[in-house]
Amino acid sequence: MVWPSRRQWRLTGFCYAALIPILALFAYIRGFPIAWSVILSFYQWNLVDLHKPFVGLANYIALTHDGNFLTAIVNTTVYSLASVVFSTIVSLPLALFLSGTMRLAVLYQAIYFLPVITPMVPMAIAWKWIYDYNYGILNYALSLVGIKPIPWLTSSRIALWALIIMNVWKILGYNLILFLVGIRNIPVVYLEAADLDGATSWQRFRFVTLPLLKSILLYVLVTATINSYNVFTQVYVMTLGSQSAPGNAVRVLVYDIYQNAFAYFHMGYASAEAVILTLIVIGVTLIQFGAVRGEEA
Amino acid sequence: MSINGHGGARVDRRTFLKLAAGAGLATAGGLGFESASSAAPAVSLSLWTGYPELVPFYKAVATDYAKTHPSVAVAVFSTSLREAETKLSAAVPTGTGPDIYDIGTNITVKFIDGGLLDPNPPDIVRYMKSGAWDSSVVEFFAVGGKYYGLPLQDGSRASMFYNKTMLKEAGIAAPPSTYPALIDAARKLTKFDSTGKMTRSGVSLRLSGQGSGIAEKFRFVLEPAGGSLIVKTKSGKYHNNYDNAAGRAALQFYVDAVQKYKIDDPKIPHDADAFVAETTAILFREAWVIGEIQQKNPKLDYGVVPIPRWRAGGPYKMLLQPWGIYVNGKSSNKSASWDFLKFLTSPQNAVRLTSMTGWVSERRDVDWKPLLAQTPQFAVFVSPPKGVVFYVEPVLSAWDEIETKLADRLTDAYVDPSLNNNPAKVAATIHTMAEETDSILKTAGLYGMA
Repeated sequence: MVWPSRRQWRLTGFCYAALIPILALFAYIRGFPIAWSVILSFYQWNLVDLHKPFVGLANYIALTHDGNFLTAIVNTTVYSLASVVFSTIVSLPLALFLSGTMRLAVLYQAIYFLPVITPMVPMAIAWKWIYDYNYGILNYALSLVGIKPIPWLTSSRIALWALIIMNVWKILGYNLILFLVGIRNIPVVYLEAADLDGATSWQRFRFVTLPLLKSILLYVLVTATINSYNVFTQVYVMTLGSQSAPGNAVRVLVYDIYQNAFAYFHMGYASAEAVILTLIVIGVTLIQFGAVRGEEA
Repeated sequence: MSINGHGGARVDRRTFLKLAAGAGLATAGGLGFESASSAAPAVSLSLWTGYPELVPFYKAVATDYAKTHPSVAVAVFSTSLREAETKLSAAVPTGTGPDIYDIGTNITVKFIDGGLLDPNPPDIVRYMKSGAWDSSVVEFFAVGGKYYGLPLQDGSRASMFYNKTMLKEAGIAAPPSTYPALIDAARKLTKFDSTGKMTRSGVSLRLSGQGSGIAEKFRFVLEPAGGSLIVKTKSGKYHNNYDNAAGRAALQFYVDAVQKYKIDDPKIPHDADAFVAETTAILFREAWVIGEIQQKNPKLDYGVVPIPRWRAGGPYKMLLQPWGIYVNGKSSNKSASWDFLKFLTSPQNAVRLTSMTGWVSERRDVDWKPLLAQTPQFAVFVSPPKGVVFYVEPVLSAWDEIETKLADRLTDAYVDPSLNNNPAKVAATIHTMAEETDSILKTAGLYGMA
C-alpha cells in the first residue's frame, strides 16, 4: 500500500475543511431535526406544557390503536402506489413518443412540464374548482358525453382518487423529462442492432430500451414514492372550507402528523408518526432498489 | 501599500482609512439625525390576530389611541386563525411572541398551564368587574380564581339567517322556531332541477370538510336537544354528554336532513357563500355574515332570529364563545399594552368593532340604537331575546382535539347510507364517537364520572 504524500494529505484535508460549512448547515437543518424528532417520539412532549415526561414506547403503542393513524397509513399507501404506478405508466410511453422526431415535441414537453413548476397551493385551489360538483369544468366535460356529475371532492369514496388524479397530472412532466433524458442517452447502435436482428417495436422496447432505462426508472420510482408519501399541501387545501373533501376520506400521514403536532400540540406523538413514516419510506425504497437491481443481476 | 493595484487612481492606506472613517461617521451621523428628526414612538406594541377582518378595526383604534398617546405605536400582524394558533404556540414559549394577541381559550389555557400568561393586574380585574360585561362573560376568563385577558368579542353566538323572499314564495308566514318546523319549512324551500339534482338547499348545514367548526355546528342541534359534548362533574373532571337520547336525536336530525328529507346535500354550495348567492334559504351562522351580505348582495331581503328550539315551549339556546385579547406574559411593554387594551375595549370601540367587522362586542353597556337603526339584523346578536339560554365552550386544552376528531366522524356519518332509517346504527355510531371523546379526556387527565 502506498502511503499518501504530505501534499495529498493537505489536499484531502482542505477538501474536507471546505465541506465543513455546508455539512454543518446540513446537520443543523436536516440531521439535528431528524435526530430530535426521534428523541421526542419517546416523550409526552406538548408544545406549551412545562411537564414533558419520558414515556418510552407508549407513543408507538398508542399509534397501533389510533384509527386516524391507521386510516392515514392506508390512504397514503393507496395514494402513493396509485400515483407512482399511473404516473410511470403514462409518462414512459409519452416519453417514447416525444423522443422521436415529431414536430412541436419541445412544445409538448414544456406543456407537460408546466404543472411541475406550478406552486402547489394555487394549483390545489384551481383543482378544487375543476372538481366542483356544480360549476367544475371536469363535470361539464363529462356531461358533454352524457356522464352524470360526479361528487369528486365531497364523496368519501372518490375524494382520494381525485387527489391521485391531480398528483399524477402534477408529477407526469417530471417523470417524462427524466425518461426522455434516459431514452436519448441510449446508444443508437443497440437499437440498430436490434433492427438488424428483426426485432419488432415492442421487442426493441422490452429488450433494449427498458433494460437500459432501469437506473432512470429506479430514480423515478424512488423519488415519486418519497414525494407521494409526503403529500400534504393539496390535502390541506382541499379539506378547507365547507365545500371540500371530508377530512377522514383523504387523511394522509403528513396531514395527521400536522394535526397532532400543530393543532393538538402532541409533538411527541406526532414525532412517533414521523419516525414511522420515515421507516416506511426507507423500507419501500429498499424494496424498489432490491426489485430493480435483482432483475439486473 | 496601495489599495488599487490595477492602474486606476492610487489611494494609499492612510487615505483609505481616513475616507472609510469619514464615511462611517457620516453614515452614523445621518442615521442619528434621521432618528431624531422622525421622533419615533418610544413604545412599539405588536399585536397578532387570527382574524384578518379585525385588522382595519385594530388599525383604526391604534390611530385614535396615538392621538392621545403619540409615544405608542401599534403594529398589527394577521394570519388565518389556525396559523395564528400555531405561530403563537411556537412563539410565546420561546419569548418571540407579540405584546398583545387575540386567541381562543383553547390556546390560552395551555399558556396559563405553562406559566406563559400572567394573571391580570388588579386595576384590570376591577375594570373587568365594573359592570361593563356580564358576570358570566367575566367568569369565562377566570382560571383557578384568577383572571386572564379581556373580553373582546363573541366568537360564535350563531343565529338563524333566513331569506324572506324564499319563505314568502314557499308560503311560510314566519321563520321556523322549532326543529320539526325547520324540517317542514326546509322541505318546502328545497329545489331540484329536472334531473333530480338539488339546486337550492332548504337549510345549509355543515356537512363536509374538516375542522372543529363541523362539531360546533353539530352542537347547534345537540344543545337544544338537551345534550352537550362534555359535562363537568362535581369533582371537576369531565365526560361525554352525548351518548344519550339527545346525541342520538341530533345525529338523527342530520342524517334525516341529508338522506331522508333531502333538505341539504354535501354536493351543493354551502355556508355564507350559499346564503349570499341565494342557493340556500336558511343558515346558522354568526353576525359576520351581515357584513358579507352588505358587501356582496346588499339587496338580499333577509332576517335573523335565534336558532330553533328542539320543541315548542322549550328554551332557545345560543352558544356563547367569548373571545379574549391578552397581554403576553413575556412582553416587556405590559403596562402600555394593558392601557391600549382598555382603550380598545371601551364602549365607543365596541360599536366600532361591530359596525366595522360584524363581530359582536361582549360589552353590555353599549348603546346599540344607532347601529340597529341602520342594520336591524344585528338585533338578535347584540340584544338576544329574553329567555335565551346561553351555553359556553369549555376552557380545556383538549377541547379542540375533541371537536376536530368528532368532526371527522360526523362528516362520514352524515352521508353513511347504513344510518338511514336505522336508529340502532345511529346509536352505535354515537357511542363510538363518545368513546373517542372520553378517550381524549383520559389522555389529557381530565376524565371522570363522579
